[in-house]
Amino acid sequence: MSTLAERAAARKRAERSQSALDWLDDRLGSSKWLRSAMDKIFPDHWSFMVGEIAMYSFVILVATGIYLTFFYNASGAEVVYHGPYRPLDGQKMTIAYESVINLSFSVRAGLIMRQAHHWAALIFIAAIVFHMGRIFFTGAFRRPREVNWVIGTTLLLTAMLEGFSGYSLPDDLLSGGGLRILYSIVQSVPIVGTWLAADLWGGNTFPGNGDFFPRLFVLHEFVLPLTLAGLLGAHLAVLWRQKHTDFPGPGKTEHNIVGSRLWPQYFVKTNALLLFVAGVVFGLGGLVQINPVWVYGPYEAARASSGTQPDWYIGWLDGALRLWPHWEFRSFGHEIPNPFFPGILIPGILFAVIYAWPWLDKRIYRDYGEHNLLDRPRDKPLRTALGVAALAFFVDLTLASATDLIGNALGVPFETLIELMQYGTFVAPIVAGVVAFRVCVRLQRGQVHPIQRPVGGIMVRDARGGYHTVGAAHDGHEASAEEHGLEPAGAGPPAGASEAH
Amino acid sequence: MKPGQWSSWLSRARLSPERRRLLAGPTAVVGLSVVAFSVLLWASGAPAQTQAASAPPAVDIAVGEALYNAHCESCHGAGGVGGVAPQLVQVGAAAADFYLSTGRMPLDSVHDQPTPHTPYFSKAQIADIVAYINALGVEHGTPGPGIPSVTPACAEATAGCPTLSQGQQLYLMNCAQCHDASGSGGELSHGYVVPSLRSATPTQVAEAARVGPRPMPSFGPGQLSNEQLSAIADYVHYLSTTPDPGGLGIAHFGPVPEGFVGVIFGLGVLLVAARLIGNRG
Ligand code: HEC
Ligand code: HEC
Ligand code: HEM
Repeated sequence: MSTLAERAAARKRAERSQSALDWLDDRLGSSKWLRSAMDKIFPDHWSFMVGEIAMYSFVILVATGIYLTFFYNASGAEVVYHGPYRPLDGQKMTIAYESVINLSFSVRAGLIMRQAHHWAALIFIAAIVFHMGRIFFTGAFRRPREVNWVIGTTLLLTAMLEGFSGYSLPDDLLSGGGLRILYSIVQSVPIVGTWLAADLWGGNTFPGNGDFFPRLFVLHEFVLPLTLAGLLGAHLAVLWRQKHTDFPGPGKTEHNIVGSRLWPQYFVKTNALLLFVAGVVFGLGGLVQINPVWVYGPYEAARASSGTQPDWYIGWLDGALRLWPHWEFRSFGHEIPNPFFPGILIPGILFAVIYAWPWLDKRIYRDYGEHNLLDRPRDKPLRTALGVAALAFFVDLTLASATDLIGNALGVPFETLIELMQYGTFVAPIVAGVVAFRVCVRLQRGQVHPIQRPVGGIMVRDARGGYHTVGAAHDGHEASAEEHGLEPAGAGPPAGASEAH
Repeated sequence: MKPGQWSSWLSRARLSPERRRLLAGPTAVVGLSVVAFSVLLWASGAPAQTQAASAPPAVDIAVGEALYNAHCESCHGAGGVGGVAPQLVQVGAAAADFYLSTGRMPLDSVHDQPTPHTPYFSKAQIADIVAYINALGVEHGTPGPGIPSVTPACAEATAGCPTLSQGQQLYLMNCAQCHDASGSGGELSHGYVVPSLRSATPTQVAEAARVGPRPMPSFGPGQLSNEQLSAIADYVHYLSTTPDPGGLGIAHFGPVPEGFVGVIFGLGVLLVAARLIGNRG
């Protein structure tokens, strides 16, 4: 419905972008690749954008992190603080802690960068977990996408390590407490534990001889981010090569993919999301306080604070330590210390199962074929029930990490809560799994699968005599691409946004 | 850019209403955070500490005795010798003032755990009862600890003058394991709730340390000198009256509420955004 003038303007714009492309092409010969990249199809379902929330959080983490590295100083050497924060004035502390206090009070924009960095970390991992849930519950990990499932799980593990190492850098009371626990867990590894801990921390007692901070810093701002970036690159390359999955629906088959093109529609969508992520992260960073290290004070072994918790994504490990009964085992003359089981063995088994899931799933369903169309969670009740059970288990452990606060808020003794949550590790997954299974079965009965729904719509005549269609399942991307006048006429594949697998 | 140029640029950019709607949300969020950021930069200076010294009210022991007989005797016995509740002859003014000014006494039933409430008596009445209980101790030759006086913190370390820095170190060493580094409280074993210190006055903080309201341990002058006690009280006061440099304090309970806000609010808003953006073709 565009006027003549509008069409002319659109043509002019198209010509302009064409000439820019020509310029690039003359120099790089890139037009063929660019053309196909720009036409890449992205499915129009919101859950496919959750991975991007994680990706953009990562981008913000890197950007704010670079700013922080300019001012952070990874040294365990001692100094006396003299600065604007009066309660710390004259206190002895490590240079690492002092540099974080300076970042918070003396460096311009230091505090908002610190806070945005920390909020972005919380959101980053939350988005990864949600993304992983969508992959799991819809069966997107099935052949040929097992590779990306494995890369993705490694991304999650690396992101957790990255978060924990960052939380430990400031050397405040919480960092030190967390590292003290990690030190004990490392020590508890049978046979090699003591050596390992002494090597990492440099010395046979916590917190070691001060070598640890430079090591931690190299991990946090070099090794782990590069690993993340490399894995993310591989993750996206595989995705690009294999193309997206999509939910079944009218016009969607195992061999095509329907949705928006990267240029221009998806480009606008994804950038809007980037702005949202930046807005939320910096909004929180500017308005809501996080990790006030000046309140916790510098780490000192003799001090402790109630309400000392790790960041949320480590909470389940802390919870496992709290819930594990005080059992110890001896075998072959070796004591296997208590923290080894909840701290290493159980997470190890859990992640092994997660890594192996695509292959376990194949066995369960005896389905070794390729799948580009997704399952709806209700269509695979067993898988869905197992996923929900696993989530319930994680929630139970995570809550266990906050028993003192929950007890305080509800007025319940935390011994009672610990006991409840110990039972909860068995009861919660079973109850949640059974409920999920039944809900799936109910939903299945109650609805027609979209693939069986009639295609098209029903033509109705309204009271004024006009005609229109109702219930049209497919609202026509063709129309919208034309309407925006952004397709250069006669160039590229036909406007219908779909491509073959 | 003149207004005319602006609107013609807008019409030339010809954002469809749909796309304009798409961009409105993010633009608003980014705009808001820029504003918030500027406000934060502007307001980040910590305000000066205020600590009003109130003149001691004129006390009347006879009024105190009458109030005691009416409200306390049933449990604590005539003349404070004890009954279903502990004796008060030796507890001293610090304990009496602490239990009355935090509203812990009078108790409804001996089986209740005393918890902080709005005080039952007026300030003047409290002073009268405290004077009466203090006099009981003096009469028996066993005066208990008096109400500790808190010296306001000095900016510079000078002799006889507590600093916030001293206060923070002593607080983190002696009190934070139960009351939390940020003074927001916690829980002990057997379901004893540790109250937040954020509404306690400096005098109440010092009294609590001397008295040790069960199950809190008491800290005598051998453990914390008067000056050290002042330093702790000043620091707690600073913590609870200074605005948080980083913005909203979200209950001051550390990583748990932070995780909640990050996951539920942060990711939640972004999921809504993805939902709004994602299903558009
Ligand atoms: C219903 C009974 C009851 C009444 C009425 C009552 N108290 Fe108490 N009071 C108690 C009990 C029980 C305790 C011990 C609480 C504990 O330690 O857990 C106590 C403790 C105290 C203590 C602390 C004693 C110590 O050893 O440190 C003081 C001081 C006190 N009460 C003052 C008063 C005053 C003053 C009044 C009157 C305004 C009063 N109480 C009214 C039951 C009562
Ligand atoms: C072993 C844990 C523990 C330690 C250590 C501890 N407290 Fe307490 N504190 C408590 C408990 C429990 C209560 C509640 C007692 C009650 O309600 O009868 C309390 C109550 C208080 C109150 C009363 C708060 C109110 O508003 O009613 C103050 C003030 C206080 N403590 C200050 C301190 C200071 C200052 C220190 C350090 C010198 C300290 N506490 C050390 C456990 C502790
Ligand atoms: C650093 C963290 C991660 C980032 C930044 C990230 C990013 C992305 C992005 C942007 C996509 C494409 C959009 C989408 O399908 O949602 C994607 C796809 C995918 N991701 Fe991740 N991801 C991360 C972690 C994970 C994890 C933990 C897993 C699972 C264990 C995983 C498994 C997958 C799979 C299988 C796909 C292909 C999905 C499909 O085509 O339907 N990813 N990822």
